Amino acid sequence: MKIGSTEIFPTKIICLGRNYEEHAKEMKSPIPKEPVFFCKTINCLIKDGEPIIYPRILFENDELNRVDHEVELAIIIKKRCKNIIAKDFGNYILGYTIFLDITARNMQLKDRGINLPWYRSKNFDTFGPIGPKIVEKIKDPHSLKIELKLNGEVKQSSNTKLMIFKIPEIIEYLSKYITLDPGDIVATGTPSGVGPIHPGDILEATIEHIGTLSNNVILGEVESKSF
Amino acid sequence: MIKIGDKTINPTKIICVGTNYMDHIEETKLPVPKEPVLFPKTLNCLIGDGDPIIYPKLLFNNRKLKRVDYEVELAFIIKDKCKDVPKSETYEHIMGYSVFNDVTARKMQTKDIISQLPWFRSKSLDTFGPIGPRIASVEEIQDPHNLKIELKVNGEVKQSSNTKHLLFKIPDLMEYITSLFTMEPGDIVATGTPSGISPILPGDLIEATIENIGTLTNKVILEGE
Repeated sequence: MKIGSTEIFPTKIICLGRNYEEHAKEMKSPIPKEPVFFCKTINCLIKDGEPIIYPRILFENDELNRVDHEVELAIIIKKRCKNIIAKDFGNYILGYTIFLDITARNMQLKDRGINLPWYRSKNFDTFGPIGPKIVEKIKDPHSLKIELKLNGEVKQSSNTKLMIFKIPEIIEYLSKYITLDPGDIVATGTPSGVGPIHPGDILEATIEHIGTLSNNVILGEVESKSF
Repeated sequence: MIKIGDKTINPTKIICVGTNYMDHIEETKLPVPKEPVLFPKTLNCLIGDGDPIIYPKLLFNNRKLKRVDYEVELAFIIKDKCKDVPKSETYEHIMGYSVFNDVTARKMQTKDIISQLPWFRSKSLDTFGPIGPRIASVEEIQDPHNLKIELKVNGEVKQSSNTKHLLFKIPDLMEYITSLFTMEPGDIVATGTPSGISPILPGDLIEATIENIGTLTNKVILEGE
């Protein structure tokens, strides 16, 4: 996958949940004591300018018809690593980019409510826009304005300084559990202000010193099936 | 990229099905799911036949988390890129079948489930996804829903069932999964485990067998040994 001028070959996408206090509060979730992470699969990745496809199986189901935007700072792994110490994290990061963790919210809440995995709600095709480029050096990745506009209106606006777990801790914690490989994507969580998107919307996700990731939302073409 | 027998596959994802054997559902008194329960494992967990399952120290040295289980499963491997596959066309998109062991950090999973957290870290530790010993072709396996499935620990039978007890059959799973996600060549779908799960420890020898496919053998070692 090409992000700006850099080509990456991710084997996995790891996302942090509840990593901004205000977002944990708006979701009525507890503030975590250790990082909460889940994965997205590669089929969700799209680039800057490509459409987010709103699945008909959600659109045509009153109970499930809600899809949300979540803007996140993402880091890209440079080399294979395991058991990294926080202070060494810089050696293992290729760069930074913007990630949209698109989420079928009602499906997620339904699954979570009956103790099922958070999986299908996070992994529809196109539910992971990334871009517009990878910035290799950022002086302080914990002091960046992060913002999302929906049809020109600001919906999320925060600063990466409000992340509960900072990047060095995240890498140390994650790499204790799993081996990270070159190109792997780690999305560091979303600030508050998440809300629904609809076919026809334009999303613009901006992080200071990185740029703006723009994607429009279109309705899926394939007919829905009943399960 | 992983070599399974004489075939090399390049999976982009592993999708597992939870609670999919009627004998296991009856044993655990779990509700019968109305649609397949799916969760992912990441590729760092894949190992082949004969490779060791590494028991992480962070589980072994933590009384609250020290329990790791085996789960033998029939896996199918996707042949080509596909989306919205109808049940009737399922087998056109399957490259073959293999034996998969969905190794699980059980206490960690239970802790996460109770807190309504994702089932992720407990399932995706390095080496927690042995697969093999080979890929049996669709032509070779006339009826994938009539295969003996068994797991032995140190020679003792722990799981013994038949794939006929699968609640959601392979065509049901293919149609459901591809209604949600695009599947890519080499992607792995593990169809769920029968009853009889229990813990493993460093030093154990795990043999997972499915009729007409073969036996997947892995030894458990403690991290750092």
